[in-house]
Amino acid sequence: MNSESAESHCVPAPAPAPPADGGQLIPLKTILEIRAAVRVLNVYITTVPIQKASSTLGLVRTLVPRDGGYDFQHLRRFAKPGVVPEGVRRRYFEGCGEDGPESLRSSVDENEGLKEEGCEEETKIFLLIAATSIISPSSLLPSLESILGPGVKLSTTEIPLLAPTSAEQAKGWSEKYWPCVYKKSIPFGPHVAIVSRAQEEVLRGVRGWMDSAWGLADAAREEGVGEGVGVVIVERRGGEARVVVGAGDGRWCRWGREEGGEGNVTAHAVMRGIGMVSEGLARDYTSPSAIPPFPDTEGGIFRNHPLLDLENDLPEKEVDVGGYLCHDLEIYCTHEPCVMCSMAIVHSRFGRAVFEKRMCGTGGLCADEGGLGHGLWWRKELNWTMLGWRWVRPLGFREGRVDVVDVELDA
Amino acid sequence: MTNQETRSEEENAIHLNYMREALSMAELALHTSETPVGCVIVHPSHGIIGRGMNATNRTRNGTMHAEFIAINEILSPSPESSNASSLTNLSSKSPPFVTENEEERKSLYPFPPRILNESTLYVTVEPCIMCASLLRQFGIKRVFFGASNEKFGGTGGVLDVHLGNGKVSGIESNETVRTTSNQEEQMAHRRNGDYEVSGGWLREEAIVMLRRFYVQENGRAPEPRRKADRVLKLEVEPLEGGGGV
Repeated sequence: MNSESAESHCVPAPAPAPPADGGQLIPLKTILEIRAAVRVLNVYITTVPIQKASSTLGLVRTLVPRDGGYDFQHLRRFAKPGVVPEGVRRRYFEGCGEDGPESLRSSVDENEGLKEEGCEEETKIFLLIAATSIISPSSLLPSLESILGPGVKLSTTEIPLLAPTSAEQAKGWSEKYWPCVYKKSIPFGPHVAIVSRAQEEVLRGVRGWMDSAWGLADAAREEGVGEGVGVVIVERRGGEARVVVGAGDGRWCRWGREEGGEGNVTAHAVMRGIGMVSEGLARDYTSPSAIPPFPDTEGGIFRNHPLLDLENDLPEKEVDVGGYLCHDLEIYCTHEPCVMCSMAIVHSRFGRAVFEKRMCGTGGLCADEGGLGHGLWWRKELNWTMLGWRWVRPLGFREGRVDVVDVELDA
Repeated sequence: MTNQETRSEEENAIHLNYMREALSMAELALHTSETPVGCVIVHPSHGIIGRGMNATNRTRNGTMHAEFIAINEILSPSPESSNASSLTNLSSKSPPFVTENEEERKSLYPFPPRILNESTLYVTVEPCIMCASLLRQFGIKRVFFGASNEKFGGTGGVLDVHLGNGKVSGIESNETVRTTSNQEEQMAHRRNGDYEVSGGWLREEAIVMLRRFYVQENGRAPEPRRKADRVLKLEVEPLEGGGGV
């Protein structure tokens, strides 16, 4: 879409508030949230008498059905001149080569409305017509003039393409582009109320689970079976959350380091954790899919059985045998999982994912610029979305302990 | 992405042959209530070294896609080896590829992981994002696929994991990469692990295979959808721009 362009500047993310005593969960941003901050669309605007507002909009809907596929739900379709940014108002009148009333080019009293010479009694409001890429002035003007009379003025202006994700953002955009509405049910992320309710639950246990995950990470490295990466998988039922699986990285278990390469890619901590859950799920041996017993999870490259004592000791209960994949389980990861593991979490239908150490070079969950930008925890194209957070320790990373994992490692 | 138009007839015939092998794996999956995606991995001197089909239902593991199964087959010890049990004992943590006797290693593990650096994957459906990353980390050389995967695809469908791990400069993923970057810029983005990808090979056959599966019931999903009314559609719309076979 040629009419869409990016603003040259980025809105910097606000620095997280100092963590409280128990540490802090920072909700991940979706890829659409990140993009919404910088994407605008060019549209035509005009002014119409209030009495003709709805008939004019009706005409626009006929000329451009469904707004040509663009969603304007977050924008005011009609705006009183007083709430339209001054620069937009000025361009409207100057761009048309005609003088608007003095009251419009300076600050306008919102209640007073817009009055034109010769039509003293007629109050006019601004109308957002359509994206400039969808329709041309030559096909727009004759139709509009059939309702509004001759001399209809058109102007182009930029509007934010996607809905604002906060009231503050809506206010800023309303002052810069066009009056915006912030609706809490944003179309490109989980509902704010759902996130905050879940966050309270996660906050109560995250520290202990993360500590366990780091314990697994240390053990995996010290025992030589893998890199210092670990995950803990938690089942939450009726308000009670219990660990069902703990897994350390196992990429060097029965694998030659001197062979080069990245080790056994299928034995990353996340993949092992998912594999361990699958081992606990019921198998229907009467179904044809149970025959032959393949893949062999014992002799092959998969590491779906405990390699570390801690992996035997950590689980507080067994995996629910009637479960479907890892449906609605929660995964707590020492490091942001790599692209493969992030997508494996999506395929496995986890409900919540939390990680502690951001992996800018390799991580697949975050959408932020500065990383890969994939934002796999919540993407509209995928058939599954979850809730996601980064966990920040109260006293800094691991309370002064050093993370030995290379920043470029695929965790 | 390159396609068969730039290759000789003889070369195309070779690729199509391997893609038919991949399709026969997909067919096997279909008959065992698995999503019918199949693949083979081919080495220039050893021929087909691994075969895989989707196994997510039978393993209760959503990551057991065909590519994982095929790589598992290649890097597992030979089943006929009598000594295999000692090395596959789970309590043994010693690396398999390090034994003092090189002959023994070869007899147990016919292929070291680096064989993938010289091998080509033929898969009926574009690798998903997870598998595209798996292939990248194992260092596959080339990928030929049948149908594109606009919902999960990791080699062009949704992300370009095969190029610089899919990292996008700027804000718009697909559009930016496709419209603004020229060959030179793409090369600059390339890092270790990038691989060549070619799509559209026996695309119609791959799609019809999937449709045959989707008219069946998937009773294992939490809320099974009624599929009894679904009708198998056999004609496949051509790709825009004539990219398909």
